[in-house]
This record gives sequence, structure tokens and C-alpha cells, in this order.
Amino acid sequence: MKKRIGVFVLLLVAAVAVVAPPPIQAARKLRVVATIPDLKSLTEAVGGDLVDVESLTRGTQNFHEAEVRPSMMLKLRRADAVVENGLDLDAWADVAIEGSNNPNIVRGGRGRIEISRGIEVLEVPTTRVDRSMGDVHPRGNPHFSLDPGLAAPITQTIVDGLAGLAPEHRAAFEQNRKNFLTQLDSHMAEWTKLMEPVKGSKVVVFHPDMIYFLTRFGLVQAAVLEDRPGIPPSPQHLVNVIRQIKDERIKVILVEPWNDVKLANRVGEESGAKAIVVASAVGAVKGADNYIAAIDYNIKTLAGALR
Amino acid sequence: MRALLVTIALSAVLLPAAAAAQSEDAAALRRELEQLKRQQEQYQRTIDSLSQRLQRLESQPPPVATPPAAQPAPTAQTPANPQGQMRPPSVTDLLRPRQPFALYQQRGAGQLLFDIGVTGDFVGNITQSSVQKAGAGTFSGRENRFFPREVELSFFGQVDPYARADVRIEAGEEAPGAETTVSLAEATLTLLTLPYGTQARLGQMRNRYGWSNVVHEHDLPWVDRPDVYRVFFGEDGLVEKGAEFTWVPDFLPFYLMVLGGIFDGDNETAFGRGRLSQPLATGRVVAFFDLTDTMALQVGSSVASGETPNRLTSTLVGYDIKFKYRPDGWLHPLLTLSSEGIYSMRRTERGVDLNGDGSFDFVQRQTRNSFGWYGWGELQPWRRWALGVRYDSTQYPATPGYQWAVEPYVSFYPSEFLRFRVAYKHTARTNRDLFELNGEGGGGRLVDEWFFQATFILGAHPAHAF
Repeated sequence: MKKRIGVFVLLLVAAVAVVAPPPIQAARKLRVVATIPDLKSLTEAVGGDLVDVESLTRGTQNFHEAEVRPSMMLKLRRADAVVENGLDLDAWADVAIEGSNNPNIVRGGRGRIEISRGIEVLEVPTTRVDRSMGDVHPRGNPHFSLDPGLAAPITQTIVDGLAGLAPEHRAAFEQNRKNFLTQLDSHMAEWTKLMEPVKGSKVVVFHPDMIYFLTRFGLVQAAVLEDRPGIPPSPQHLVNVIRQIKDERIKVILVEPWNDVKLANRVGEESGAKAIVVASAVGAVKGADNYIAAIDYNIKTLAGALR
Repeated sequence: MRALLVTIALSAVLLPAAAAAQSEDAAALRRELEQLKRQQEQYQRTIDSLSQRLQRLESQPPPVATPPAAQPAPTAQTPANPQGQMRPPSVTDLLRPRQPFALYQQRGAGQLLFDIGVTGDFVGNITQSSVQKAGAGTFSGRENRFFPREVELSFFGQVDPYARADVRIEAGEEAPGAETTVSLAEATLTLLTLPYGTQARLGQMRNRYGWSNVVHEHDLPWVDRPDVYRVFFGEDGLVEKGAEFTWVPDFLPFYLMVLGGIFDGDNETAFGRGRLSQPLATGRVVAFFDLTDTMALQVGSSVASGETPNRLTSTLVGYDIKFKYRPDGWLHPLLTLSSEGIYSMRRTERGVDLNGDGSFDFVQRQTRNSFGWYGWGELQPWRRWALGVRYDSTQYPATPGYQWAVEPYVSFYPSEFLRFRVAYKHTARTNRDLFELNGEGGGGRLVDEWFFQATFILGAHPAHAF
């Protein structure tokens, strides 16, 4: 038995000594896993034919409460890189990454690409926060990915991350990014024109995940249906919001497909506002199959409802 | 003679001069000493002043850090303090507490280098007085009490780019009274960067045996651990000191994890040898299948084999299966179904009385096989409410007889961080002797219990897989 234990210890020491991750073969595509579909779409735009991208979640899910499935671990096991949102939106990814036994993508690994770095974060608490405020994010609002104005820094982070793994493709990634941003700019001109007449309009959101988008196009988030982030609304809170909608003649309540759409409709009926389901992520609604399509859907839906 | 006169003359001249010089040196030294004393006093005053200032600053509530907008976090490529801008540290700099000593002060974004969490799990139970006398309740010795079962302080995070550590210290009531037992629940080091899809975890841990053994008490979907674990491994389940190694292959179309472990074998209920020379060996294989986007199935098999204190082999083979249905977009599963079972093969010793004189003539060794399992279903139609029921059936591993139990429950979640649960458990045992020989009277054959549970999470709490 002692001999067996000796062999076992030797094997352990040998395993620990070999900590360097195996190099990526230059011939094959980079395998990238994004935690949310918005980042999958942007990584595809930047990576082009040089990457295969999968998402751990679907657009119809609430990313805060994604269930960590072992099938996520299998995707991550094969990944050269993982693109994560950060700011605690996808903190569950740590559990999936640890379960994947993939040294490339652990924190500090070459294949770990965190997007929130370099983002101008909104709603960063300036006072002490605690859970009495609900599921508050101490580092600021993490729902920035569908703000077209932030596509440039997001894609730059992705380019840097991918080029770190495949430096020979940096030029191609840069060119893909440039093409994508040019395409986005042309849409941006159209979107700005569409939103110009409704600039300054107030809207109510169910969950505060549209603030970057609203700010970008000059809309005002007047109220949140959730009592506090992540906590279902109390009747008294709903009464207050309904009163506010009536007083301020707010026309629109934005609700995510994963949220309580029935409740949003009820509040809309009570208050006279219209509850509309937005593309809270790529793939959240039909027709929002990629980054530009999702933003386009939101712009056209909102512009139509606010007129 | 001439030389003597010269020497005397020189001495007469030089000695007073030397004495005068010594006197001057001593005066200079005294002056220097006094100057040093003054400097020291001045330094002491400066230190005192800075210490007071530091205390004042520490006593003020630290503000939440608000990083400047659009400023990227420092990376290896963009060092926060480039070499060219460095300056020598001042006295204030030297006196200021630095990491890790000042970690507690830095509550701003991303400043703490690891996570801290506290969970509290309080349980109340009501049962018959006869059950209380026999100590035959689910929480033996704490029948008809409300008590802190598990208050857990957790520290977890990355040690360096290659490893992470998890430390959990828990306190709870183990016997009636004011005393609370504090113990090390878990302390593990996980090596994250081993090659070929492998990973190692060392330390004291909840063994990955079945799916529910690794779950801490406060995270269990029931008030109590299933009977099969309690009977075969004890109230806390299987918690051991040693190492586990896992391998996740990347060539299969589904997720598979293979685990092997070597442990001391301290678990007194199933093993108890407690020596690495005769270790407890564990193994587990678990596979996961995404049936659809909304339905998933996990199946696993586990084994643990070790020795009892009297060097008898004890082997437990288990199965586990778990199914979840989570409608698209739901924040919680609508339906969860699961079952786990353990087949125990234990060598036992039995005294044989051949001539009927009341004394054993020899000790016979035999293998005693026993089986236990549970089936569980939970329905969560609303975000805040979950209803479930568990059925347990377990033979005793070392004595004849078995017990079965049924436990319906309702859980209420005011938020993600707070939960209340009410459950009723009916247990029936075939063996009267187990609890009736403790000299206190009472009985444990039929047990009816009402449970109340309150659980909170404070601070960080890692997500759980499936």
C-alpha cells in the first residue's frame, strides 16, 4: 500500500509540475465561448471565419440567474478563450469554468477576456450599498452590451484578447472590426434619426437593464417596476408606479421576455401605458438574431411606441 | 638618562593635552547623544501624530469606491504606476497599512482579493416527547428545540493564477444548551491549471459522492439530509481529509467527469480507520445530457471503499440521477426530480455461541449488505414558492431492520438571499431496539416531526452547478 501511495504522490507531483497550457495549433480556428449571446455576436463579427463561437446562455434567459449546467463546462473544456461580460452579470461563469478543467480560461489565463474593462460604467453606487437595496451591483450597471455606442471599446477588447492567442491574425481581426463598426455607424445614423423626434421621452422599465441604451438615445428612465433590483414588486410599489405613469403621461413600459410580461401588461392596462417586450439581448425576440438586428428591433419598436 | 628625561618631558606636555582632548570628545559625544535624543523624541511625536491620524481615518466609514469613468483597470500592458513615475515612499507611506493587512478597509470595487460570505441556517423541530426521550428524532438530542444548525463563514477566491482556495468555518448547536460548536467545515486548495483536462483538490472537503453530499446544509432543497446519507455516513454526510482528482474529457459529445480520491477515512459511521496507510478510496463518474433547451438529465455513480477501525472492509456503491425542467425564460425550474441510492457492503464481526453457555466461542466474520435510497420531486410554479416531497427507504448497514420516511415541504423565498421552509416528516422504523436501549425510555419506531427552517445569505455566495 505504501508503494502505491508513493507512486500516487509521484504522479501528483509530476502533474503539478506541468502547469503550462498546451499551445494552440495555428491551423485550426479559435474556439471561443461567450457567456451571453450579445458577446457571441460581437465576437463573431470580429473573429469572422477565424473563430467558432458558442454562447453559454440564450437571449430569452435572465443572465443574472443562469443555471450552471455541466454542458456549459463541456463547451468551456474545449474553448481557447472565454468572453465574459463582467461586473457580476455572469459571475456564475466562474463555477462553470472551474468545472471545465480548462487551464486556458481560468482567471489570469491567456484566454480569459473580460469585456467590462474599459467601459464607462453607469449607475456606479456612490454611497455604501447593501442587500436591502436588492440584488444591487456594487461596481455599476452591467447591462452595457446592447449600447451601440459601446461597441467600439467592446470589440477592441475582443480583438486584443483574440490577438493575444493568435497574433498572426491580429490584422484580420482589426479589419473585421473596422468593417463591423463601419456597418454599425451607417445604422447608427438611421437609428439616431428615428429616435430624434422622441428624444427626452420618459419610459418605465421592468428591470434596470436598458439604461445604457436609453441614455445613448436621449430617453429617460422614469421608474422601475421591480421594487428593487431582482426583487418582485410589492403592491404598494406598483400603485406608486401606476400613479407616476398617469401623472407623467408615460407611454411605454419596457419588459424583458424572461420577466413577468403579464404583470407589465396589467400595469399598462391600469395606467394607460403600453407594455412592449424588448430585445434585452441578442436572440431575446424573433428577428433579433444578431447584434445589429437586436438594436434595430429595439429602436423601431420604441420609436413606434413613443410616437 | 637623557632618554628618560625626554620621555618625562614629553609626557608632561602630552598627557594634559590628551586629557583635554578626551574631555572635548566626551563633551562632543554628549552633545551628539542629546541631539539624537531630541531627534528621537521628535520622531516619536511624528509617529504618534500619524498614528492618531491613522486611527481617525480608520474610524471613519470607508466610502464606496467610484472608479473614474472610462478608465480601464490596470493591466500588465498598462501598469498603474509606471517605473518613471515612481517616487520613494514617505514616512506616511511606510506607516500606512498595506495589503493584505489593509484588505478590510478596501471595500470598494474589486479591491478585496477574495470573497467573504456568511450563511445562517436555523432549524426548529417539534416531535413526540417519547421520541425526544429516546433521542430518535432527525436531529438527535435536539428534539423539540430551535437551534442554529449551521452558521457558516466562507472565504474563497484565487490564490494565484494557478490555484483557488475555499475555507469554510461553521458554528452550530450539537447538543442542547448555550454552547455552540465551532469547527472547520472545509478548507481546500484547487489546482486549476493541470494539463489534459485534469484538476486536483486537496484539503478537508465534502466528498463528491452522489450529487447531494457536496451540498451544504443551508443549500439543501430539504430541511434534513436524506436518510440514506444520514444512516450510511452520519448526520453530516461524508466529509474527509485528502485529495480528489478529476478528469473532464473533451472528445465526447456529452459532459463526463471522472473522479478519483484518496482520503484518511475518518468517517466513523462508514469507515473510521483514519490512516492514509489504509486509505479511503473514492471514485465517481457523472454524465450530463441536455435533453432540450429546457430539460436536462444528470446521472452519476459513486464508490467509496475503506476500512473500519477493526480493519474490516467497508464499501459503498451509489447511484444518482437528477432531472430538471426549466421553461424557457424562467428564473427557476418548474420541476425537479431526483433519486440517489447507496448499496453498502460491510464486513462485520459476530460472536457465535456454540454450546449455549452465554459466552462467544468464536467470532465469525461476514459481509453485511444493505441498501438505501430516496426519491424526490419538487414543483416551483412561482418564483417565491416551491412545494416538494421526498420518500426515503434505508436498511441499516450494521444491524437488521430498516426505516422509511416521507417528508412533504413548502419553501418560501422572499428574495434570492432569504428562505423559509416548513416540512413534516413521518418516519417508521422496524427495529425498536435502536433507540430504546438508551435508558431514557421513549421510543423511536414511529416518529412524527414538524420542521421550521430559516436561511439567509450575507455577502458573497458562489453559484451551484445544476
